[in-house]
Formats: sequence, C-alpha cells, structure tokens
Amino acid sequence: MLVLANDESTTVDSLPDAGPDLWVRTDQLPEATGWELKPEGACLDELCVPLLGDEKTEWVQEHRGAQWLKYSALADKVGQKYVHDDDVWSLGTVPHARHSTLGSGFAPDFEVTDRDGRAIRLSDLRGKKVLLVTWASW
Amino acid sequence: MYSELTAAGHDDFVIISAAQDSQGEAAAGKLFDKANVTYHCIVDATHKISTLFGWVNVPSAAWIDEEGRIVRSNEGVYAGEHTIKMGVASMSFGGTAFADATRDWVQKGADSEFVWSAEELREHLKPVSDDTLLADPTFKLGVHFVNDGDGERAQRHFADAQRLSPDNWNYHRQGWTHKSGGHALRMWSKKTKAMRENEPEKAYYDPMGLPGEDVKQSSQVEWIWTTLWRKLRGS
Repeated sequence: MLVLANDESTTVDSLPDAGPDLWVRTDQLPEATGWELKPEGACLDELCVPLLGDEKTEWVQEHRGAQWLKYSALADKVGQKYVHDDDVWSLGTVPHARHSTLGSGFAPDFEVTDRDGRAIRLSDLRGKKVLLVTWASW
Repeated sequence: MYSELTAAGHDDFVIISAAQDSQGEAAAGKLFDKANVTYHCIVDATHKISTLFGWVNVPSAAWIDEEGRIVRSNEGVYAGEHTIKMGVASMSFGGTAFADATRDWVQKGADSEFVWSAEELREHLKPVSDDTLLADPTFKLGVHFVNDGDGERAQRHFADAQRLSPDNWNYHRQGWTHKSGGHALRMWSKKTKAMRENEPEKAYYDPMGLPGEDVKQSSQVEWIWTTLWRKLRGS
C-alpha cells in the first residue's frame, strides 16, 4: 500500500480486511503521515488530538503482532480529506495547517528544497521580507 | 527587481519562486535556467504552495513580513508586460503594477500604502468548501499516476479534482497539459468562453486593487487567446 502525504510517497503495510478504512501501523505512521501516537493522543507537530471514549479502543488495535491506527477516522475527526485508488491513498492538507494560520493572518509554514539543494523553511525567514510567487510552465 | 533591491541594500528581501508543475524539473527547469536568477527557485509538483495559500491561478504571490504575517496576496501578479508570439500573431499581458507595489513594500515595510491588515486579508480569502478540500488529495493522486506512467488513471483523478473545484484554474490547466495535440489550449478557450457567457461577473484574475493595474486586460487575456485560437484554426 502506498500513502501520498506531505509531498512524499511511503510504502506501508496494509491490514487485510480493512474494509473502506485506512489503517496504518503506528510505527509506520510518522514517516507515512507526519502524525505520531503519543500518550496524550495523536499528534502532528504541536497539534495533539486526544482520543476520547471509545476512540482509543476502536481506533488503536493490535493485529498480527503490531499496533495499528484507524487513520481514516483520525482524518475525519480533524477534517483532513483523503481519497484512494486501489491501494494508493492520497491525504490532503490538514486543515489545521492551513486555516488557522491564514485566518490569523500568519503565513502557513512549509519546508521545501530549492533547485540548488538548499532546504528552506518559511519560519526560518523571520526578520526578512519574503515575496512568495507561484508560476507554471503550462 | 530582486537584484536591484538587494544591490540597493535591501538584503532582508527574499524571493521564493515556486513552479507549479506536475512534470517537475523536466517542465520548469529550463525556464528557471533561462531566467538565471539568484533567489530561491523551487519546483512544486503537487502544487502544495497554492493549496496552502488558497491560490487557484498562476501567477499568484504573497508578501510575508518580518514576523511571518501575510500582508498582501494577489493573483495575476506579472513582473512586467509579456508578449507571446505565435507565428504572425502575438498577445501581450501583464503589467508593472504588482512589481511597483512590491518595490514600495520592500522600501517602506509596514508604512507602504499597499500593505493589508489581517482584516483585509480575511476579506480576500476565498471560501473553502468540503469539495475544495477533497480536490487537493484528488489532484495529488492524479499527479502520482502521471508520474507513474498511468495517464488514463491520472486523467480520471484530474477530472474529479476539476469537478470538485471548478474555479481552480491550476487543476484545470495542469490536468489538460497531460493530453497532447493542443488539448490544453482548446480546453482553456472552451472554459473561458463558458465563463464569459454564464458568469460574466467573474474575472480570470481577481483584481489586485493596485494603481496602474489594467483590470480590463486581466479579463481580456482569454479573449485574446480565443481570437488567436480561431485565427489558427482558420475559422
């Protein structure tokens, strides 16, 4: 199974008979999705979503000697959209990353590598005026 | 503009230029090479920057101040006037309004009259529906299958993304580029014609609200293309 998220594609194990849901092994979760399972809940950077009530038992389960998270349920909870075509799952931008920042007037942070191989993180450019431009060859 | 401003001592000014090109370096590389610039150039195959900033067309741009705030965000932000020649015909578009305003912002910072408040930014944000959000992973699935050599599956997902986010020119135009034989130009003419007829109040680019801006010209871009296309087809 392939997970497309954050500009990366990661091959992960799939859970047989998972039905329409996306289950991801919790040890493969950070690399594939950016999320991590912690005692306080499912966390993405500073955002932590507590697993409440039945969520803990329904979303986190042991199968085949490994721990799995029902990722599609977490995505539904935080409003992250996803779509799949057979065993390729594509995850949208987590709304938290986009909306809260745009609504507050702050630019959403991102990390990219430029054509010279230099890593650029927008938040590292504090103290500078940044003109961010998009264009296309088409 | 970049070299002029940095040479004038504005070394706190940074440009990040992000090509929204699903074919990556193969599509955008030679144009970057030709431009031969010293600022940050990135190839953004999944259009992640457009998604994060809510942009639906190119060129688009944001000014981000020293504290990380967006103090202006516009589409149709050409650096100057451009002319495209196609045989005997040619078309001009763009203008210097945005570049002039940017120069003013770099020089004056928060005192520039073109800087937006947080309230003005909120007023300019496009509404985001559930369908718009779903279009993002759907488009990315299309990009994945294009790069995986499965054009048929890719087209299916591009079509879904276009249906989910009908006003997103990036999803439309990028998806169309993956079919050859003038398909992209034909589809563009068709969609802009439909927009003129059914939604005449809509502009191809949202007006920037800057002095010297040729608002008429930004909505004329597709007119010129249509005329040119008819001429090429001999009709």
